[in-house]
Parts: sequence; C-alpha cells; structure tokens
Amino acid sequence: MRELRTEEFIVNMGPQHPSTHGVCRLVLTMDGEKIVKIEPVIGYLHRAIEKVMENRTYSQCIPMMDRVEYVTSMSCEYVFSLATERIAEMEVPERAKYLRVIMLELNRIASHLLFYGVTAMDIGALTPFLYGMRERELIIDLFEMTCGQRLTYNYIRIGGVSKDIPKGFEQKCRSALKVIAEKMSDYEGLLNENPIWLKRTKGVGILPKELAIAYGVSGPNLRASGVQYDLRRNDPYCIYDKFDFDIPVRYNGDCFDRYILRLDEIKQSMRIIYQALDGLPEGDVKNKKVKLTFKPPAGETYTRIENSRGELGVYLISDGGKKPLRVKTRGASFNHVQILPHFSTNMLIADLVANFATLDIIMPEVDR
Amino acid sequence: MTRDELRAYIAEHYDGRLKPLKTGKYDPLYEVAVDKIFEVAKALKEDDNLKFDFLCNLGGVDTGEHFEAVYNIASISNNLRLDFKVIMSYDQAEVESLQEIWPAINWYEREMWELYGINVKNHDNLTRFLLPDDWDQGHPMRKDWDAPDFKRKPEL
Amino acid sequence: MGIIKKLPIYSEKFPGGGIVTTSLEAALNQGRAKSLWYLLFGTACCAIELMCTGASRYDFDRLGMIFRATPRQADLILCAGTITKKMAPRLRRLYDQMAEPRYVIAMGGCTINGGPFYYDSYSVEKGIDHIIPVDIYIPGCPPRPESLMEGCIHLQEKIKKQKLLDWQEK
Repeated sequence: MRELRTEEFIVNMGPQHPSTHGVCRLVLTMDGEKIVKIEPVIGYLHRAIEKVMENRTYSQCIPMMDRVEYVTSMSCEYVFSLATERIAEMEVPERAKYLRVIMLELNRIASHLLFYGVTAMDIGALTPFLYGMRERELIIDLFEMTCGQRLTYNYIRIGGVSKDIPKGFEQKCRSALKVIAEKMSDYEGLLNENPIWLKRTKGVGILPKELAIAYGVSGPNLRASGVQYDLRRNDPYCIYDKFDFDIPVRYNGDCFDRYILRLDEIKQSMRIIYQALDGLPEGDVKNKKVKLTFKPPAGETYTRIENSRGELGVYLISDGGKKPLRVKTRGASFNHVQILPHFSTNMLIADLVANFATLDIIMPEVDR
Repeated sequence: MTRDELRAYIAEHYDGRLKPLKTGKYDPLYEVAVDKIFEVAKALKEDDNLKFDFLCNLGGVDTGEHFEAVYNIASISNNLRLDFKVIMSYDQAEVESLQEIWPAINWYEREMWELYGINVKNHDNLTRFLLPDDWDQGHPMRKDWDAPDFKRKPEL
Repeated sequence: MGIIKKLPIYSEKFPGGGIVTTSLEAALNQGRAKSLWYLLFGTACCAIELMCTGASRYDFDRLGMIFRATPRQADLILCAGTITKKMAPRLRRLYDQMAEPRYVIAMGGCTINGGPFYYDSYSVEKGIDHIIPVDIYIPGCPPRPESLMEGCIHLQEKIKKQKLLDWQEK
C-alpha cells in the first residue's frame, strides 16, 4: 500500500479580519483542520502613546490615555489621575469620588454589552449584536449629556472630574439601568440555552487556573478559571470598599464561563451604581488647587485598577517637572494575546475565533 | 500583611539584597543589583510568606542618565504588591531574563529590548514585534532618539 | 406612481407606460451610489463608532451600506482608525485588491493627518492620503455617527456627478 503523507501548511489570519477585533495577526500552522501552532504578530496599532505622553503636561496626558483603551476610556483616565494623585498625595472631594465610581461602572456595563454583541457576532449570531448595541446607546447618552463626547470622554481629571453631572442625570441613569435590567432576560434568553451557542462554547478553550496565573491573566478571564481575584475588593481604590457587591466566579474556565461571567458582572455593576446614586453627597467636584501647570513632586508609583478586561495599570515616574518622565501602561489584553498560543492549539479555527472573542481582547491595549 | 508589615518583613529577611527607595509612593519600591536579579526574584516567588506569583508589569525607563528596568509584581494568594528596579548604565544595558520564574514576562522583555535596546540574557525569542519588520532607526523610546520625520510638539 | 414621481429629475416618464428612460450614466451612478458596500476595516477608536453607526439606533443599512469582510466584494474602504507605518502596506494591498470603481472615506483625525499622534509619535502614518487616494475626509476624534453618515451622503452625491468615462481615463 502506498504510504499516505500529510503536510503542515500555514494560514495567515489578519491583520484585516473581522473577528480579530482590530488588527491582530495570527500565523497559524495547520495540520488538516487542526491548529498545530499559533504565532501572534502584534504591533499593527503601535501608536507610541507612551512616547507622546513624555512630551505632554499632566493634564494633556489624559486625552492620550483615553486612546489607550477606548472601549472603557473612563478607567484609563481614572488610572492616570489616580497615579498622579498618589504621587502628589492629593485629596479628592467626596462627590467626585462618587461620580467617578458611577462613571467607571457605567462604562464597565457599556463595555460588557459591546462584548456580548461582538462575541455573538464572531461566533455567528448577528441578532445579539443589535440588542447589545441598542442598550449601550442608553449609557452613551448619559456620558454625552455629562461631558459631550460619545467615546473619548476626558471627563475624569487630576483632582476630581471636569464638571458636575447635569440636571436630570440621576433620573435618566436610573431609567436606563431599569431598561437594561429588563433586557438582561432577553440577552440570556437569546444565548444561554441556545443549543448552537452551547455547542460552540461549552468545553471549548479551557484555560487552567495555574496557566492563567503564570501568564498574568486577569479580570473576568481569571475569575472564570476559578480564582476569586478582583482589584476592587483585593486592592481597593477610590471608595469601592464602601459598597456592597459580589465578585462572580466560575470554575470551568471555558468560553461559556467567560461569557456568562460578564453578564453576571453587569448585574453587580448595576448594584454599585444604585448604591452610589443613593449616597451621592453634595459638594465640590474638583480639587481647586490643581491648575493647568500642575507639577507633582518627584516620585514613582505603579497604580492598578480593575477595568472591564482585567488589570489596567500605569507606571508613572515624575521628576518634579511639568511633564512625566515615563508613563508605562499595562493592559490586560497584552497578556491575553500572549497566552493564546498556550491553550488554543489542537483545535479548529472556528473554536479559536470563539476563544479569541471570549477573552475580550482589544488591540490598542496590546500595542499602545 | 499590610504595606508597612511587608516593608518590615522585607527589611528583616532581605536586608542587603532589596534596598528600599524613597521615591516609591504608595506601594514599596526597592532597588536590586543587576547581577542578583534572578536570585532575588526566585526567592520572592518561593518564599511562602510572600509568594509573589503574578507579574503585573515590566517597563524600561530612560531617565536621561541611566537605564532602569522596573518590575511590578503581586501575590494573588497572599494579596501583596511590590515593585523593584534595577539600574544600568548606558554601556552595560543588560539584564537576566526572568521567564523561568514568571512566564508572562516574555513579551514585556521583548518590548523592553525593542524600544530601549536593553539586552535580555537567556531570552528564548528576542525578536522585533511592535515596530515594522524593516525598521532600521534604532530604539525609539530612548530620550536622545531622533529621526528625519520625527516632529516634537513645540513649547507653548 | 409614487416611486416614479420621486425619481430624480433627469428621468422622464414614457407617456402611458411604466417605462422610464434615463441616461446610462445616471442609471449606473444611481446603482453605485445607493449600494455602497464597505470594507470592514476598523483599526482603532473610530471602529467603535462605525459599529454604533451600523447597529440599531443609527441603522447604516438605510443608506444602502452593508459591511463586507473581503475587499473583493467591497466598493468602499471606510478607513476607521489610525494607520501605523506597519499597517500602511496592508492598506495599500487591500485597496489594490478591490475592484473598480472604488472609493475611500478617511474617518477621523488620525487618517487625515495623524490627529493626536501628529507630534512625538514615531510609528504613525501622517495621513492615509500618502498611501491611497481619498474621496471624503470626515474630521473628528472620533466623528459622531451623524457626521459619518453625512460624509457618506456627500460621497453618494459625488458619485452621482461622475462621468461614465472617468474611470477609464485614470
């Protein structure tokens, strides 16, 4: 009998590919339909934000931080402001802290709704995308009435927030949350028991706990692997220790758990926002001492917060001048792309897409 | 362990190897000698009272006088945070790779090598990945870097 | 009858029949302008606004714009987001792969001149018109969905004015 021989071949996925969430390129070595090796190629969106920020004053850095991770811009602004405030040991008014929490959590909900839609679209269902984006617009409206922008807000500033919320915000916010809470059952009804969805996500792309910690996976992806680690609880910042909320954890670490965990997080975020709205104190929203030519004393700190993708960190070095000496941003997606080759081999390309989508990778955070 | 307890513990058990720096705000910051980096990092991870198992971040720094590499680590099981840095002169910019200890550091070290030109010993894949493949203009994050089409923002 | 009344001014109604005459140019341009399928080419922040425009509230489909994932089926590159020096050759290749007639919309400050990355950035291409010809520029960082749609309407008007032989001359 003639000996049968097979050959490995290379498939190039990206950088222009609808399910790579931007411009990630994956060089796949295939054996038939199975993936043997994955080599991520990044850098297609390397915009040198860190270099740009070295030649900007502190207040000019905040719009640049917006572009580090544009889906949750508020958290990027916040982490830079927090780092500067820690170096300058500055007080922030109580009302500003509450407003920051409200904005951060609203932004987390908006990001998870986007995740819900985009993930479903990558796996092949178009309808959830329209549902997720519809409710996301309600939150975007709230941001727009507060700061005038839809995506890159420049709202959280050093020493507080740029301006107070407008009249009617609170009521509009409550009604938006009420709508989202009602629609949650729609989202769950569309996908949670959908046999195609279950087949595509259950048991696919299992990320073991030890591997996740070793490769620096954080946020919902880490919690879906069974590690209860949330910086809002474990390394509390702002006033998160005042609020009562749960940290959802799942234990299988597969695509389905990563998806369902984010829906659980939306509910917890809503709990936090209601508590913050109820306890919103009166007063100033900005520390009056911060001027445009603000110079913090020399010092350095690594500040990290929990954004919707995981640990977002900034290493800020100030030499006492009006410009930072070095700003190093750390995005959770950087590690999530890095770990992709280590648990996605020996599967089909379609499952790799599911894996990539449920890790919720966003490229500007990787390339910066 | 609170931050002050951690400082006291480090002062007691790692005296001489981790030298505290005053510039670090909020979380403790230490300086480590370049040749001790691997040994210290291994000890920090394997010490049962600390158990730093999570690498947050690694960044290169060009201060204008020398290079620095800043390691930000955390412990998930003991809920701790710590930073340490090594200081290198311009002509001896080289650190040991720590990927045996924290596999996550692999890409961070690549990035540091690519943007600053800090060499990483024993790294398994020190290749270009953020800049274009045909990039030939050196290491752009250095303070003295310049190129013909590079424009600096004018002072107001 | 209602439809025929709403047809553009250059079409004439045949007396007594349901036939409409028009020039070949106008018919082709009408077809091109009203079914602009765009290449899904979102690189950065503007891509999120592009998705919002395509989704429920703004409903891009009513302009006849549907996204395509492959350049072979697309008429238009909606270049949404920063183009870096590493990405520039890929953008050129995608443009070359499209069939004529093809159009380009530069969405957002980064694609016009580098936007916020004009100064101090070593890796951003300062404007995509260094790489491919651009028909419409839409400023903003990122532009709102309304301004994106206005840009698309401007492009449709531009297409309606083009002459039949224009593409062959190029």
